[in-house]
Amino acid sequence: MAEEKWVVMVTAQTPTNIAVIKYWGKRDEVRILPINDSISVTLDPEHLCTLTTVAVSPSFDRDRMWLNGKEISLSGSRYQNCLREIRSRADDVEDKVKGIKIAKKDWEKLHLHIASHNNFPTAAGLASSAAGFACLVFSLAKLMNVNEDPSQLSAIARQGSGSACRSLFGGFVKWNMGNKEDGSDSVAVQLVDDKHWDDLVIIIAVVSSRQKETSSTSGMRESVETSLLLQHRAKEVVPVRILQMEEAIKNRDFTSFTKLTCTDSNQFHAVCMDTSPPIFYMNDTSHRIISLVEKWNRSAGTPEIAYTFDAGPNAVLIARNRKVAVELLQGLLYCFPPKPDTDMKSYVLGDTSIVKEAGLEGELPQGIKDKIGSQDQKGEVSYFICSRPGRGPVVLQDQTQALLDPQTGLPK
Amino acid sequence: MASEKWVFMVTAQTPTNIAVIKYWGKRDEVRILPVNDSISVTLDPDHLCTVTTVAVSPAFDRDRMWLNGKEISLSGSRYQNCLREIRSRAGDVDDKEKGIKIGKKDWEKLHLHIASHNNFPTAAGLASSAAGFACLVFSLAKLMNVDEDASHLSAIARQGSGSACRSLFGGFVKWEMGSKDDGSDSVAVQLADEKHWDDLVIIIAVVSSQQKETSSTSGMRESVGTSLLLQHRAKKVVPKRILQMEEAIKNRDFASFTQLTCTDSNQFHAVCLDTSPPIFYMNDTSHRIISLVEKWNRSEGTPQVAYTFDAGPNAVLIARNRKVAVQLLQGLLYYFPPKSDTDLKSYVVGDNSILKEAGLDEASGVENLQPPPEIKDNIGTQDQKGEVSYFICTRPGKGPIVIHDQTQALLDPETGLPK
Repeated sequence: MAEEKWVVMVTAQTPTNIAVIKYWGKRDEVRILPINDSISVTLDPEHLCTLTTVAVSPSFDRDRMWLNGKEISLSGSRYQNCLREIRSRADDVEDKVKGIKIAKKDWEKLHLHIASHNNFPTAAGLASSAAGFACLVFSLAKLMNVNEDPSQLSAIARQGSGSACRSLFGGFVKWNMGNKEDGSDSVAVQLVDDKHWDDLVIIIAVVSSRQKETSSTSGMRESVETSLLLQHRAKEVVPVRILQMEEAIKNRDFTSFTKLTCTDSNQFHAVCMDTSPPIFYMNDTSHRIISLVEKWNRSAGTPEIAYTFDAGPNAVLIARNRKVAVELLQGLLYCFPPKPDTDMKSYVLGDTSIVKEAGLEGELPQGIKDKIGSQDQKGEVSYFICSRPGRGPVVLQDQTQALLDPQTGLPK
Repeated sequence: MASEKWVFMVTAQTPTNIAVIKYWGKRDEVRILPVNDSISVTLDPDHLCTVTTVAVSPAFDRDRMWLNGKEISLSGSRYQNCLREIRSRAGDVDDKEKGIKIGKKDWEKLHLHIASHNNFPTAAGLASSAAGFACLVFSLAKLMNVDEDASHLSAIARQGSGSACRSLFGGFVKWEMGSKDDGSDSVAVQLADEKHWDDLVIIIAVVSSQQKETSSTSGMRESVGTSLLLQHRAKKVVPKRILQMEEAIKNRDFASFTQLTCTDSNQFHAVCLDTSPPIFYMNDTSHRIISLVEKWNRSEGTPQVAYTFDAGPNAVLIARNRKVAVQLLQGLLYYFPPKSDTDLKSYVVGDNSILKEAGLDEASGVENLQPPPEIKDNIGTQDQKGEVSYFICTRPGKGPIVIHDQTQALLDPETGLPK
């Protein structure tokens, strides 16, 4: 038998996702079962992702996890549920290179070290839980040689964080609400992959927020309990929109896509407002961005940009194609110029090649500079991220990207 | 016969009103018939009112109207409908003092001069149309000796501006949606007069707005046309709330009143957000005020302040009693202090005796304010000068009245032209 200090590790990368038909409200708080279906677009993990390294070793005396460098507790039910579910599906593992064998029945006695890292700020309201739990489940499934497809894995990720189930796939994804009590049919399925509609360009405006926001978990619970409009939305409105959205995505019908995405975002926020006490996730800056896009689409004659907002003030803007995205970025920078002395490289992140196409590299054009003095909206947007629809989770073979030391199993 | 230059005038004063169960959406755009009932509280005309003088004379060659000093057109259908409806109900007038007699049938040949004035800025989003049309109809009814009760008159005012019908009464008023096509049963009725619950104190925060707002008329039409939540609200939610609100008012049940008022205001704004394109009437300042009130009510255990917002960012806050209103004002002035050099007397208008009770009648008053103990600084720090333009302190008030004091008339009694 190999020395009892061996460490087997897997590192994986998982994308985050943005719902275009929103999930808001559970019918089961423990299993995390929603009251309606939802549909999302997966974002390119090159720009926004979670990286997770999971390691197992007989020398580990307890399960431990580090998130963005800080150790966190795994005692909460969400982590416990995910760990239990994935462990119960663990299988035989044989690492021939290292000469390590782990039998199916060994897993329950072995402990795990988990290190996870988001390449975007947690406080930016960019759905880090979704990417995080998806990555946890995906990487553990690889480590433990779990023989399940992504939809089945999504049912486990779902128990960590509802929207995490949608990050098990790239492209456009649907989370079927299911109707079984045990939630085994409440899974994510891929509608189309990330190549299907790759004209789309996504620009996220990370909006400065002074308020501590209501968490999604407690917010949606309050909505279920107190909003008199929510059930009507879940039962009458969303089912119809889900079918229309599936069609729109299939046919690359941007006009329908925009109408559905914008109205669903607004209705979600309407239900938040109809909650007691009311929840306001969007702020004046969010409204100004909506106004900008609504006017733009009206003057263009046909919709060119869709918008959607999650449980926070950040705007996710989806442009019909690169050309529109470039114009949109110019427009956004005109309306929301950076504070003076801000390097464009830190004001537009992600796919920064768009900065050059927009003629905004290096020095800001005089036109925008002129606005900085008079513009009173400096600082309303912290920065922009330019991205696109992206692929699902992948294993990273490159050991240098592992977050744990291969000898000690501790964070590097 | 008296010289054909006689001028016969009436001057009246009408209050404005704030809905606590909201009207938003018409089933008939021409007759202005709503998709649900609504309930309002009438504000004290001492603080917010419209004064209208109406005059008739054979010397007038056409109907004319001046609003806040500027002549406006009466050709729009809303004015035409009101004028037609009130004229068709005109009676005989016999003013023995002036020796003027007007027969019922004379009215259709006579022209009117109308001058109207709001004692609050029109741009402040304080429902000037409601008070305006109510005053127009009320004063014309007096002038023309129309023999109809206030509810019947409200059906006419309704055709000028929906919410105007509720300004025909003081206290708490209900606008019954009615079910007839001709709208004859879509009228306002009084639920309770202004004395019934006179503990209540109302503080309005006039919030600075950078945006030009969507008008109520087009906004509610867009909501009816595009919101998938509106019909559910109108058919399922509001009818229950109306009954509960009537009970709450009858019993002076402030806890229920608050819950209904706040949730209905929020649901109205939710429907606006569910409209295509979305309508945002409230802004960050409005939200901050809501936060303040919600936290306060929670920390006190039982509601102390209700809030409601109309089609604009202004907050209408209803305090359970004077003591609470004083504390509320102190809290509001702490979080929304006036700009330096602003005289407090122009920052808190209406019943500003409340300033003294709040210990704020001296210049140093605001600086010495302490943050309300229950509220931690999640609301934001005390750096929000200029977010609120000013406050108005008022209370539930009485309905329309004739003003006999001729010095308050807005038209010259000889010429019938604006003074």
